[in-house]
Amino acid sequence: MATAIGESEWEVAVPEKPLKDKVYFENLKAKVIDTNLCSRCLTCAAICPGGITVVENKVDFPDYENQCLDCGACVRVCPRFVYEPKSGLGDYIDFIAGRSKRFAGQDGAMVTELIVSAIEMGMIDRGLFAGRDDKWATEMFHVRDPEQLAITSLGGTKYTFADVLPALKEAVRFTKRGVGVVGTPCIVSGVRKLQQEFPIFREKVKLVVGLFCTENFHYSDISKFLQEKGVDFSKLIKTDITKGKFIATMSDGEKVKFKVKEVEEIVASGCNVCTDFTAVESDASVGSVGSEKGFSTVIVREGNVREIISYIKEKGYADFGDAKPEELDYLINLKKGREKNIKRD
Amino acid sequence: MKKVTVQEQGLGEKVVRHATAIGVAMKESVYPLTATVFYPRERKKMPDNLRGYLMFDPDKCISCWECAFVCPANAIQMKAAPNERYYPTVDYGKCIFCHFCVDSCSGGALKTTKIHDVAYKDMDEMLTLTEEMIEEPEIIREDKKSVEYVIDEHDLHLKRVREVDTLFVEVTPPVEIPMVSQCIDRASCIGCRVCEEVCESGAISSSIERGVLRMKIDTDKCTGCGLCVKECSMQILRLVKK
Repeated sequence: MATAIGESEWEVAVPEKPLKDKVYFENLKAKVIDTNLCSRCLTCAAICPGGITVVENKVDFPDYENQCLDCGACVRVCPRFVYEPKSGLGDYIDFIAGRSKRFAGQDGAMVTELIVSAIEMGMIDRGLFAGRDDKWATEMFHVRDPEQLAITSLGGTKYTFADVLPALKEAVRFTKRGVGVVGTPCIVSGVRKLQQEFPIFREKVKLVVGLFCTENFHYSDISKFLQEKGVDFSKLIKTDITKGKFIATMSDGEKVKFKVKEVEEIVASGCNVCTDFTAVESDASVGSVGSEKGFSTVIVREGNVREIISYIKEKGYADFGDAKPEELDYLINLKKGREKNIKRD
Repeated sequence: MKKVTVQEQGLGEKVVRHATAIGVAMKESVYPLTATVFYPRERKKMPDNLRGYLMFDPDKCISCWECAFVCPANAIQMKAAPNERYYPTVDYGKCIFCHFCVDSCSGGALKTTKIHDVAYKDMDEMLTLTEEMIEEPEIIREDKKSVEYVIDEHDLHLKRVREVDTLFVEVTPPVEIPMVSQCIDRASCIGCRVCEEVCESGAISSSIERGVLRMKIDTDKCTGCGLCVKECSMQILRLVKK
């Protein structure tokens, strides 16, 4: 007795396995994780009905021999299982600089402004923000009301991985209008892969904001490194990378500075094979490079972000200025150079 | 407003009543029946839907954990049973008798009783194991009469009945609406087959042929228990009316 609401019979295309007699997670492990291709975007952990998680900074599935359900969802969504590196500036319809009048963030707080304006417009009903606890470890927040941003320090760059995508799956489950998500280029690629494979993400994820990203750090590594440099987490209020220098700002105005070269040793292995600086697959990419101090560069790629920008202009929530695409060339080329690190078999 | 006045009693009646009370007190001090002494030897008749101590029927339980999830006081813990199922245990030290668990039980395995006053010697004893909730417990009854408040349209009466109220209620099962599990977004299915694994009635089956996984819900076998709907990792199964 079939009903109009649902269906009692359906088909799922099963992805191909390079290692025929192994479960899918072992395939993923052999092809992505063990070859250091893994970007720790956690798209696999988001979709896995079993137990993909992070163990000692690596994506892992303890006891996968017994517990992997062998459904193949992880290899379907992994952006690097069949890796097509993306680079360059990508397609865009507008290239602007902006500074929010309402929020404080890393530079111009344009990520926060975009998401909050989208919530106010009714495009989405929640945005996913990475916040941090008093030890500077990241934790995910569902922001549904601009007032929530006043009580937690959600703005600002974290320079460590956040579990954005597992939180996104939960948000997709609860949302009515749509979800807005912010992430590094690898997370943006993961969202796109999820949207490509599963209609539920196409319908519910309405806004994807990418961040300019050269590299990222595992929490255990960066926290140990900063502590060795004498950074007191209880006083730390901001971290920043500008002009080849890593700057940690304290609440009493004291700044700890050192060269970015010093942290190169602890860059996550997946970042060495990443060529995408500007998150070319996003709806809008935001970063500090390319605009004046205090402004954020916004690369508008899709119509939905153009709508949000015109809403912000109409309400007068932000100042806008010119941004220079050519200033991004150095970092784009730097990341494009990492293509040689990708081992092809 | 109604004023309650004390009934006038004759001297003889007073003597008899005092003598009875002293008699009970003497007896209880030598050979106590229960930890607390209830006097007069009569109990209020409780309504059938009183939120009292719980009884549990393992045959109706589908191990969905809903009672444990819904419990606001965190009094219900699921414990593994020898038959690889999970059954609830209730810590009456935490229970607030809201009976959300009874309301949430989709199989109707939890039901109420009129037992509401139990004394324990220590806190550990208050954790009631599943086995203790299956059989009707033995209760030492000191009451000989039951008292009932009867409300008619004008007044409230106290009615004394010379019989003991039964503490176990026969709950009439609710009218079942035949439901069946259906997939509402088949393109978002990841093919993990968790639904097939958890299905108790064998209604969900799958087969792989030439790289295509075929999922099928047998709507005749499906009992509409909702276990697959709960466990579906993509939340794309729904219970719909048959």
